[in-house]
Amino acid sequence: MTDFVQLIFAGLALGARYALVALGFVVIYRATGVINFAQGAFVALGAYLVYQFGTTWALPFALAVILAMLVSAGVGAGVERVVLRRVIGRPVFAVIMITVGLLFLLEQFVTSVWGHQSLNLGDPWGVSTASIGTLVVSHRDVWTLVLAGVVLAGFFAVFRYSGFGLAMRATALDQEAAMARGIDVRRVFAASWAIAGAVGALAGITIASGAAGLNPGIGLIALAAFPAMILGGLDSPLGAVLGGLIIGVTQTLTAGYQPQYAAWLGENFYVVMPFVVMILILMVRPFGLFGTKEVARL
Amino acid sequence: MTRHPRWGRALAGLAVLALLVAACGNGDTTGDTSAPTASDPSGTQPAGDPEPVPGFDGTTINVGILVPLSGLPAIIGNPLAAGQETYWSYVNDDLGGVAGKYPVRPVVEDTLYETGVTVQKYNRIKDDVVLFAQVMGTPHNLALLPLLEDDNIVASPASQDAIWVREQNLLPVIQPYQIDVINAMAYYIEEAGGRGRTVCAIIENDVYGEAGLEGLRFAAERLDFDIATVTRFALGDQDFTAQVTSLRSNGCEVVWVNALPSEFGAILGKAAELGYTPQWIAQSPAWVDVLGAGDLRGYLEEHVWIAAVGTEPDDTSDPSMAQLVELRNRYRPDQKPDYYFNFGYYQAMAVHQVLERAVERGDLSRDGIIEAMNSLDKLDYGGLIGEYAWGPPEARKPAPMSTVFKINMDKPFGLEALKVNFETPHAAAYEF
Amino acid sequence: MSRSSANPVMVRRHGDDLRLFPTRQKKVVYAALVVAALALPFQLSGFWTSVAVYAGIAAIGGIGLNLLTGFTGQVSLGHAAFLGAGAYAGAYVGSELGMPFVVWLAAAALVGAVIGGVIGPFALRLRGSYLAIITLGLVFLGQHVFQNWTSVTGGLNGRSIRIPVAIGPVDFADLEVLGHQLTRDQGYFILVWALVALVALTAKNIVRSRAGRAMQAVRDRDLAAEAIGVHLARTKVLAFVLSSSLAAAAGALLGSYQRFVHPGEFSLVLSIMYIAIIVVGGVGTTFGPILGAVFITGVPRLIESVSDRLPFVATDTAGGGLITVYSLNWAIFGLLIILFLVFEPRGLAAMWIRLRLYFRSWPFSY
Repeated sequence: MTDFVQLIFAGLALGARYALVALGFVVIYRATGVINFAQGAFVALGAYLVYQFGTTWALPFALAVILAMLVSAGVGAGVERVVLRRVIGRPVFAVIMITVGLLFLLEQFVTSVWGHQSLNLGDPWGVSTASIGTLVVSHRDVWTLVLAGVVLAGFFAVFRYSGFGLAMRATALDQEAAMARGIDVRRVFAASWAIAGAVGALAGITIASGAAGLNPGIGLIALAAFPAMILGGLDSPLGAVLGGLIIGVTQTLTAGYQPQYAAWLGENFYVVMPFVVMILILMVRPFGLFGTKEVARL
Repeated sequence: MTRHPRWGRALAGLAVLALLVAACGNGDTTGDTSAPTASDPSGTQPAGDPEPVPGFDGTTINVGILVPLSGLPAIIGNPLAAGQETYWSYVNDDLGGVAGKYPVRPVVEDTLYETGVTVQKYNRIKDDVVLFAQVMGTPHNLALLPLLEDDNIVASPASQDAIWVREQNLLPVIQPYQIDVINAMAYYIEEAGGRGRTVCAIIENDVYGEAGLEGLRFAAERLDFDIATVTRFALGDQDFTAQVTSLRSNGCEVVWVNALPSEFGAILGKAAELGYTPQWIAQSPAWVDVLGAGDLRGYLEEHVWIAAVGTEPDDTSDPSMAQLVELRNRYRPDQKPDYYFNFGYYQAMAVHQVLERAVERGDLSRDGIIEAMNSLDKLDYGGLIGEYAWGPPEARKPAPMSTVFKINMDKPFGLEALKVNFETPHAAAYEF
Repeated sequence: MSRSSANPVMVRRHGDDLRLFPTRQKKVVYAALVVAALALPFQLSGFWTSVAVYAGIAAIGGIGLNLLTGFTGQVSLGHAAFLGAGAYAGAYVGSELGMPFVVWLAAAALVGAVIGGVIGPFALRLRGSYLAIITLGLVFLGQHVFQNWTSVTGGLNGRSIRIPVAIGPVDFADLEVLGHQLTRDQGYFILVWALVALVALTAKNIVRSRAGRAMQAVRDRDLAAEAIGVHLARTKVLAFVLSSSLAAAAGALLGSYQRFVHPGEFSLVLSIMYIAIIVVGGVGTTFGPILGAVFITGVPRLIESVSDRLPFVATDTAGGGLITVYSLNWAIFGLLIILFLVFEPRGLAAMWIRLRLYFRSWPFSY
């Protein structure tokens, strides 16, 4: 029982990491209809920037995080301005390939600057923990959950109540109509890429914390976040978070119990479990749990 | 949509053209290097000077290096190649080359850690090198094996698998992982009071993990203990709660680990958080000193051992290690002590012995290399690691010799030897 | 969606538009291409011949993906899984069952077709980005199976593949032409590129058939297509079957040429490379995937052979330059993909057509 509760909590923390990555996907998809394969590179870039500011330049950790988020946001907006703006309206796979090209470029930038070695991010959490009954929770995991919650709340507040959020929603609904109403669609696009960059940096911090946790491979977790994003529905922030948590908990429970009770599924089945869950749910709900149904017209 | 479509198209077109032109130019220069140059006519050695052959123009000996230098696996490929390059710089600068007169030039190609690319790169340089001094990765060596047999070329795998020992075309240089597992478990059980403890394993789900597990199973048979549970993970995993709780609930008191540093750090971090403190014994690639730079230091120094080869890193009381350190500082001042750097260095030492013998016999051709290799009776590493009994494939036997370290962050690379370069009958009994 | 818009020669009847070899000039061009292809392996070094073989194999898989993505509009990131299935099926039938070349190649294609037929119906319910991501899941499931089905795949160790490539008495691995012994690479070059020609011709024929027109109708507007009587389910599933059987055949060829495969090869990166092949080559053209395959396979190797002469690049692993040669390859590769898609969205095929037009009307610019 203790192990079960411990696994559930670990799954939630893992899920919160997926959710933070997935939120970066969602904010771009919502405004521009693009699946950004380069999100993993934002995750890695953000984490390395924190290392640069916090460890190399010895700034306080919180300040390093804020600076890293700002720089990542700038990179996101810059990428949108220089590249993505030129390909608005192109077919899905062409734009996907462009973001793949960006991924290659940014990855090489990161390894050229910081090398391939594993590093310590320099987070203040270390291995400190708190106990709730028999459950042991690490500060790192608690912070991850809190950050995911704060970002989700922030998204909710901005999308729902600010004028800018209104512009974003209008753009997502119908670009031309939004433009006709005087909404600066280009600004909306740039802003959504900037937000994705900043959120990516946050995700990077939660992933890279821990001993020797910072290495160029952390961008790979973006792949594992795909199921989370699609499960919730591509354009729903709430869906991304719930999708992330569902995937996280399913994955840790599978890792915990499948070797014992369903060994015939093969070694490390938990690695593919998110994709299995995703396929099963999409069979029932083709636009995910909270995704907007596309209305098809002739 | 775009303001300068023409300009952009022209640019894309120009980029392609420029590449094509440059490639043609490249073809010309490679043509030049393969042209034989006049070799020293005053050779008076008994066997005569070696004739120019593919990879040897009469003066320079080219050796191939196929490792991943970009992408994630470059974390291993870079230091491997750097170790080789450092050693060859030493051979060229201090010894004047092989036999004092033939400098060695490493031809390095990036494999991206993909088998297809490895095969392509092999094809690219096979006619420009006398042998391959380094090929990283188990699948990649397996992919090259049929080609090596067809072309009669020798390659040295940078991989501690057990499957290379009996191959005519391969030059494995260090004992396989299995040996280190067996020795470390023998030390733990017979000398460190580990008899009767519950033994478990956590391994990476790949060939590296399987090799460790194979060694552990052999040790279990020889030393008469049971393996209570084996739990696995995949490279890049983020959360190890399931694995660690499984080890804990199975009552594991000693856990064998095959991992790489990032995952090892996450495993130990989770264990420390949960207050789980078995004796961890890890295969050498799991260790890197940044693991001990943070909060984990105390936990590591108390609960973690590393099974490896060789003396303490940078232990300059050993003359061979002192030389390695001096050369590393001379040629690679930015390089920190690194397991793979040393591996590449040892590997170049072995290849050097083969080349010396081949020059002595006056034949650097592919046949000549194989004969020279078979005529050596050992690969000698100046005491850095155990001697590899050598000869024709059936006569080869890796040294059953390992070292067990504990973590001590005041030492170079954070490793303090518990027992250096020891052999056990159990490891010696392991058949290849 | 007539392809003739790029062709200035007057087309009077629909039948003319569909003809494979409309003019004598084209016949001459195609004949010249065949001769050039036959001569090529004797001009190239062993390395570039080998790269050309890989490019040919990629072209076969690329033509398959293009039928699905380019002509039917179904984005698939799952191509690598089909290549893997084909590689292992070919290896099994060729070595464990000891079947000859034609049989193992057909068997691999059949296995691919069957899996494609099973996956296809998923596409009936999902569209656009959702389909792309779910096929991405296929890659991970495929790798899981390849890693665990050890008796066939060799598991994590990979498996070596020694299967015959002979049609009757003609052994392509050991070919002799006019008393001249060819290398294995040269033999494979001839075999693979002959297959490329065959597959391209078949694909072209499919595209201009009734089924092909149905595919394009589905791509352009599936609801409208259904309304005018196109059987949506049948068309989509057919596209999946065709695409995955070609991918599987390409995978089997890859395994037999490389003589070794490993689960790690059939990763998402491979799928992405195939998307890159059709996008860079020119989506929805028959010639595009071939150009794209040559480009995507050849250009990284090309960059490598030139980039070590650039001043700011480190040529050994010690660092020193701003960037290592090896990183630069990927960076340039990424940049090229971006440049292409931004400035030449219709790919190399369009570039080729424009070049041809330019010379046809030379010296007038219009």
